[in-house]
Amino acid sequence: MNHPAPEELLLDYAAGASAPGPGLAVALHVALDPAARRTVEQLGAVAGALIEAEAEATADEAALTDAALQRMLSRLDGLAVEPKPAPYTPRPGFQWAPAPLARHLDPQAQWHRAVGGFEEIRLRLPGDSHRVSLLRLEPGRGLPRHRHVGNEYTVVLQGGYTDATGNYGVGDFAVGPGAEQHEPIADPGDPCIALIVLEKPIVLTGPFGRWFNPLVRSGLI
Amino acid sequence: MLSPDEAAQLIEAIAARQDRAAFASLFRHYAPRVKAFLMRGGTDAETAQEVAQEALIIVWRKAASFDRSRASAATWIYTIARNKRIDLARRAARPAIETEDWLAVFAPEEADADKSVLAGQTYTRVKELLGGLSADQLVVIKKAFFEDKTHTVIAEELKLPLGTVKSRIRLALGRLREALEKEQS
Repeated sequence: MNHPAPEELLLDYAAGASAPGPGLAVALHVALDPAARRTVEQLGAVAGALIEAEAEATADEAALTDAALQRMLSRLDGLAVEPKPAPYTPRPGFQWAPAPLARHLDPQAQWHRAVGGFEEIRLRLPGDSHRVSLLRLEPGRGLPRHRHVGNEYTVVLQGGYTDATGNYGVGDFAVGPGAEQHEPIADPGDPCIALIVLEKPIVLTGPFGRWFNPLVRSGLI
Repeated sequence: MLSPDEAAQLIEAIAARQDRAAFASLFRHYAPRVKAFLMRGGTDAETAQEVAQEALIIVWRKAASFDRSRASAATWIYTIARNKRIDLARRAARPAIETEDWLAVFAPEEADADKSVLAGQTYTRVKELLGGLSADQLVVIKKAFFEDKTHTVIAEELKLPLGTVKSRIRLALGRLREALEKEQS
């Protein structure tokens, strides 16, 4: 793994504080990168220790707990222990999709050709204003030159891409380069598929692309 | 008190035979702790009580998904309670959202995923490690977990530059990692 997610984003994620879009980006990175998973597990151990460190209940609190326990036990009567869920299997055509992505992929999800020569699947995450998309780029193809006005999070799910900041392969995580423009190009081999989470619409800066900015801003493309 | 092994056995007993006595022991130990933990983050007593109860109900329903080689009982219950709190907060303010994504982290489904080496770690040890952090580092870590805040929000509240908060987080994690991994090797 050449490009790990910044650790403060792993902490946001482990604490359950991430917004849904960035949270999904980190979840996919964690699913693909054992080192990130270890860090999140260490943070989980810290949270467990903080819970465990809470003092024994006082006598009053213990009486309250016992009363609540009696209500809970009566609720258990109608409540089965669920069987262990079957291991995740990606559906045909989406073998590259890690488990946390699957629930957000509509069963009818299809790639749509977007302006600029790439394909896109938009994801709708309720309660989040980020623009969340899967992008697919054929080898050697690039995204139109653009710059960012807000944060951008990218996780590579298949293939890879290269831009001025380096080469990104499966599981790699990129945080938007701020106001600098960049022009990612897909590597040879399988098409590059990545999840892109944008805080604000990008601004196209190429001689041709910039005419599309009003459409980009309005979310039409 | 419950040792990590005892707590794991109780969850496994629920999974194996719907053991109500095991549920009662878990509830007595964890419900008040989860409640106290949530109240530290500013959750009111009534909501904290509800989240703690509902979290323990999920422990019953999902007991078969618990894997002690991946996470300790306390970590697993923390994750469930945290998601329950997020669900409740969103019900109040925003549309509901799937939170199981976050739960999945502690039970990755890939067959070849490496097992967590932390699951059996004693809390005493992790507590000691937390004690080894500087006050500056600890306050950021605690705010994240107790108050459920992103590092950006924490920086605003502490009136610190974002870079300062990021470097405190990285230093704290570096220390924890170094100490935990030295022990395992």
